[in-house]
Amino acid sequence: MRSRGFRRLALAAGAALALSACGGAAEPAAAPVPAPAATPAPTTGAPVAPPTSSLDPAAVPEPTAVSIPALGVRQDLIGLGVAGDGTAEVPTDFADVGWFTPGGRPGARGPTVLLGHVDSTAGPAVFYDLRDLAPGDTVVLTVADGSTATYTVTGTEQVAKDTFPTAAVFGATAEDVLRLITCTGAFDAGARSYTDNLVVTAVRSG
Amino acid sequence: MSRTRTALLRTAVVTGAAGALALTAVGPAAAETEVPEPATFTSAFTAMATPDMVINNDGVPTPGEPGASGTFTYRINSDTEVICYDIRLTGVTPPYQSPAKTATHIHQGDAGQAGPPRIAFPNPEDDGSGALVSSGCLQGPFTTGVAPEGTDTGQGFTLDQIEADPSAFFTDTHTAAFAAGAVRGQLVAIPVGGVETGAGGASSTGEGSTGTVVGVVGGAALLAGAGTVALRRRAPQR
Repeated sequence: MRSRGFRRLALAAGAALALSACGGAAEPAAAPVPAPAATPAPTTGAPVAPPTSSLDPAAVPEPTAVSIPALGVRQDLIGLGVAGDGTAEVPTDFADVGWFTPGGRPGARGPTVLLGHVDSTAGPAVFYDLRDLAPGDTVVLTVADGSTATYTVTGTEQVAKDTFPTAAVFGATAEDVLRLITCTGAFDAGARSYTDNLVVTAVRSG
Repeated sequence: MSRTRTALLRTAVVTGAAGALALTAVGPAAAETEVPEPATFTSAFTAMATPDMVINNDGVPTPGEPGASGTFTYRINSDTEVICYDIRLTGVTPPYQSPAKTATHIHQGDAGQAGPPRIAFPNPEDDGSGALVSSGCLQGPFTTGVAPEGTDTGQGFTLDQIEADPSAFFTDTHTAAFAAGAVRGQLVAIPVGGVETGAGGASSTGEGSTGTVVGVVGGAALLAGAGTVALRRRAPQR
């Protein structure tokens, strides 16, 4: 169901955030929030051309949870922004998925961007299997008004962090698109960081 | 409308048929130059530009070209005064027109307000696919070719002013048919560089990021919680 609400919701982002890094978290976050949420709404029909919108994302409800049935991922979303050094904030808790709050939202212009760790210092994290998403797989966002927004994966790209395509990943889009980002590539033990990012793009389909 | 001014325009960035409409002479000869992309950036911004956001110089909403839109993404290195631009317009119909030396700008002005141009970018041109695109990097000091009170509106402007308050800036492009703007959008900050979303614990190179560290119990949170592992993030400002 496409959200057409125009409620302006306060962003409660921020509280839960702190910087982390491919280089490992500096501190534990609170226990992972149990993920209720995200009842996938099976929708009819095949993907269609993504709807476009010039709607200000602030005019529609924020996403609150993500479900990726093909990967068995269901998680509430935490809010993320731009860190003091200009880079993207990432979840402190390796089990969390964050959404980039200044970006797009379901039902408005895009892109809605989700960030999650591929691994912790000890093993796989919430987006470990993101690489397995294939075109046609669905990702369902639950929105603050209780509705759901279904996106269909169209492709996956591996991009080097040192030539990260900022415009292509975070640049505003008229289409209601979703991007899911994690780390991939070689792990540089010296820099304590993966060399690349994995960027999955999905378009609104229901 | 002098020869001198014309010469100055030639030194400027662009394509500038629009420049011929400039109202007043530019000031100092110093103007931005096209430069290669720097290795690092200090900030990045994007704007979804739409016709409904256009405000004319009197502050009156003046809708731009119906159905048009534009994505304007900027990456800034405020230490070296370099701004890289990636602009893509859909549904905008040239010819471009502006009293400035080009018709594609960053202006200083809040949402719903007019404001002077601070930077003039090369106008987007058809890349062969039907979309109008413009990309590259400029290094200040910037001039716009507009000097309503004798001083170029780019004079005194520096890129750290955008970083200080991006929402006080908007970007747009002007055409002959939509002189107040075909599309316009306010700037929003986006991250610079890649995203640090892994700690190496499941990487093929083994052991995770900690390298030096930590025989501890039970999972990532606890591990990190040992505190000895406070690892600084690499600062990949690229």
